[in-house]
Amino acid sequence: MKPDRIIIDSHLSSFFSLKDVLRYRTLLNNLAKRDFLVRYKQAFAGIIWAIIKPLVNILVFGYISSKISNTGNTATNFVYVASAMLLWQLFSNVFNEVSNSIINNANLFSKVYFPKIIIPISTLLVSLVDFFISLIILIVLFVISGQSIHWHLVLAPLFIALTLINGFGIGLYFATINVKYRDVKFIVPVIIQFGMYATPVIFSTRFYLDRIPEWLHWIFCINPMVGAIDGFKYALFGGDAIYNLNYFILSLFISFVFLFIGVKYFYKFERNFVDYI
Amino acid sequence: MSAQTIIKVEGLSKHYLLNKIPMQKSDTLYGNFINGLKNIKQLTQKKQTEDFWALKDVSFEIEKGDRVGIIGRNGAGKSTLLKILSRITPPTKGRIEYSGRMASLLEVGTGFHGDLSGRENIYLNGSILGMTKQEIDRKFDEIVAFAEVEKFLDTPVKRYSSGMYVRLAFAVAANLESDILIVDEVLAVGDAAFQKKCIGKMNDVSKNEGRTVLFVSHQLNTLQALCNKGLVLNKGEVSLNVTSSEQAIKHYMLLANQTARTSIVDRLDRDGEGKIKVADIKFSNSVQQQIEELITGQELNIHVSYQCINSFVGQRISVALAFYGDDGILYTVVNSENTGVIYDNIKGSGELVCSIPKLPLMEGNYFINVSITENGIAQDWVQEATSINVIAGDFYGTGKINPNTHKSILINNSWLK
Repeated sequence: MKPDRIIIDSHLSSFFSLKDVLRYRTLLNNLAKRDFLVRYKQAFAGIIWAIIKPLVNILVFGYISSKISNTGNTATNFVYVASAMLLWQLFSNVFNEVSNSIINNANLFSKVYFPKIIIPISTLLVSLVDFFISLIILIVLFVISGQSIHWHLVLAPLFIALTLINGFGIGLYFATINVKYRDVKFIVPVIIQFGMYATPVIFSTRFYLDRIPEWLHWIFCINPMVGAIDGFKYALFGGDAIYNLNYFILSLFISFVFLFIGVKYFYKFERNFVDYI
Repeated sequence: MSAQTIIKVEGLSKHYLLNKIPMQKSDTLYGNFINGLKNIKQLTQKKQTEDFWALKDVSFEIEKGDRVGIIGRNGAGKSTLLKILSRITPPTKGRIEYSGRMASLLEVGTGFHGDLSGRENIYLNGSILGMTKQEIDRKFDEIVAFAEVEKFLDTPVKRYSSGMYVRLAFAVAANLESDILIVDEVLAVGDAAFQKKCIGKMNDVSKNEGRTVLFVSHQLNTLQALCNKGLVLNKGEVSLNVTSSEQAIKHYMLLANQTARTSIVDRLDRDGEGKIKVADIKFSNSVQQQIEELITGQELNIHVSYQCINSFVGQRISVALAFYGDDGILYTVVNSENTGVIYDNIKGSGELVCSIPKLPLMEGNYFINVSITENGIAQDWVQEATSINVIAGDFYGTGKINPNTHKSILINNSWLK
């Protein structure tokens, strides 16, 4: 094998490279495994907590909101809200974990070189595992509440992926700021908490748009999670979940804009993280 | 780049901006609140910063199979150089070119997690160092055997003794396959037997497998045992380019002699929190006269003067003095804590005195490294704080003097008749 020739230059800039990520896939797996294993070590009930946490969340929020937005079938309403809740939780988990991932693992990259993007990707994987556990609960609820199966169910994975893109893109942006300003640690939970009420989680998009002035509509739909959640609801239940196709497309577009900005910003400062941490 | 050159460094510089007004911190809740507001206000003002070049225009070449010791004082830029070489931080100017796989050990056990078992940590640590799963699988038995932890593979490492922990951590790193190995001080861990094993392994790696090694250590004798070449850094610049290790150590000692003459309080090449600093070291004899030259066997007082920053009151303070010969060998260390003396309520400035009834050092030149620890936290550490000249004296009070063929420590002894 011909040895690699490596050049370290002051004016080289770094960029995303899938080859690098693949070369370090063992690290990616092991970091994700570590985060998952460590969480439930020395916990008597162990991995069962991974089911209890989302279950309680879904039940409580599902119940409360199905009481508030009292329209039609209670069981359907319950699953409807639970599905939105599930996706919002995936988003907030990814967003929160990714934005803290870099500073939480500073001890690693300040001593050993590896592509730093591995760290946020590994936290994304951990959040995804949690999500799949909750998804099983949703599927059970979906079946026992007697929902009908449509062709558009196959679209569901797309909107799960879109949620990951949202959390990851915005998370990367905040992870970068977090390196220098630890204030991010406190800002992110606030954004998540208030963001939920500006997103069709408990109420539908129609509910919001009917109640706010028309000139605010597009601002509401700049929120990239509007498209993801409405799309997911459409995939699961069909009907008029996608309230306005133009706004829906705007929201999808914004998702990719955020991902682009997040990745770009991350790589702009990535090389210098160690100097600011 | 010639065929033999494996690493080529050209005009490497690293620049840091130091904040002149650091972010305000306070110990009280109220103070923290007020400082937070002040910091927010400061955001709008222009920041006052100071330029600092950790490395200035460093160039050198290393040939394949060389074992190079990088020598320099605190703040000479050794760690910065290693960090840039191992791609942890980018250079501000200049470039590095190298071929082959590089492995850097700036720390043993990076990423070890106490809750994970020995087995899990081997895989985690191995992958952080850049090994693939197949590589770790292949090396697994060797790692376990070297670390001697067979029985505890499935025990969380937080239950390991510190010796076992370090052995395991080093074993993973030592079994990493690479063409270039960068090692920073990591051998200074573990017990003596293990250190010997590590050095053996390092020798194996470099001499027998023909790998190129870059090595940083404060222990010049370890460095001498391990390296055939040396590079001396001083204040961020190359003071002596890659040459034989003997010459490099000689050059370093010459430098040390020069700096030891500058007054300690003005020295910038120091480590620690800095709330209390060593200001000066002076010597006096049994009748309290200040002396410049010391005599073997004489009664001696060492006066370490200190300065505290405003309003600092130090608790549980201890002082340590390490005596190095100009051959780079550590002869002895005296530490106030080990004699059972801990200083409390230290503030302002003053001096702490160490009394040695009979100076056991033989004739020659020595350097003293001094450190002050407060409540377990290193506050100040100055290498080669001062140099001393010891002249031959009558240690045993018999009129006979040990021949000065080798420097060594003299000890009291008696023989039964």
